[in-house]
Amino acid sequence: MNIQQMEMVFRGAGLVLTGLVVANFFAAKRWRYAENLETVEPIVRQVFNVHCAYIVAIMAGLAMLCLGWPELLLEGRMSRVLCGFFGLFWGSRVVVQLTYYDSEMRRRNRGWDLFFLAVFLGLAVVFTLGSFV
Amino acid sequence: MKQLLEIGLLVGGWSLVALCVGSFWIPKVLKWREKLAGLTPLMRELWWTYSIYVLSSHVFFAVLALGFGDWLMSGSRAALAMCTFMLLWWSVRLWLQFFGFDFDEIEDTTANRLAKGLLTMLFLGLVSLYAGLVCWNVGRIGVAEV
Repeated sequence: MNIQQMEMVFRGAGLVLTGLVVANFFAAKRWRYAENLETVEPIVRQVFNVHCAYIVAIMAGLAMLCLGWPELLLEGRMSRVLCGFFGLFWGSRVVVQLTYYDSEMRRRNRGWDLFFLAVFLGLAVVFTLGSFV
Repeated sequence: MKQLLEIGLLVGGWSLVALCVGSFWIPKVLKWREKLAGLTPLMRELWWTYSIYVLSSHVFFAVLALGFGDWLMSGSRAALAMCTFMLLWWSVRLWLQFFGFDFDEIEDTTANRLAKGLLTMLFLGLVSLYAGLVCWNVGRIGVAEV
């Protein structure tokens, strides 16, 4: 795959990441984060919200990079390290989905489960590929 | 200035390593397991997933600071983007340290006070370091080698 094609692939990944950022806000509503966290101590709630926000910030930052400056992900040794990190990041997310999340919950939401597995796997492939270009 | 930033990256990188190692004690010190017992399984799973991903980001930042300091000071647009991102990351974390978290429920022991002080100093140091690196990369201080 040449550089121009890879840039296009990164732009596609940027769109997918933008979708994931938006999906996080719907997930918060769908899984009733606020109500579920009402029962725990404030610090626990705050740590959860902070971690959640930081993960969304990583995805938003990466989406911006992919959509606006995909060439930066293809320049030199460091960009390969960055792509390698995100390859691992999304690859491990597939493993988490398959081995850690509640299988009963996944079964009840099979469509979404498969959709997000495909998304995470796709992102893992794109960034791993980027680390070798 | 270049030498000062290089030392800053070394100190910052090893401080991040210390933070990553210390993070393994946080769940025990803050009794996360008991406190999370009342949550639904999905919320608990999300909690641990988010926590591990944030920790892995800190590991990556440590690798960048210790292994790719030259690149972070290269003056390239990518280096500027990365330093700006990390500046934002630690600035928000510093702000949360003072105004975001409710530390009242954490036991007031010498060890906890010391840990809080060290964390605050670390966040202050990292904000200063990445602010310095952003200035370096835009050519406000010293001359970056592009």
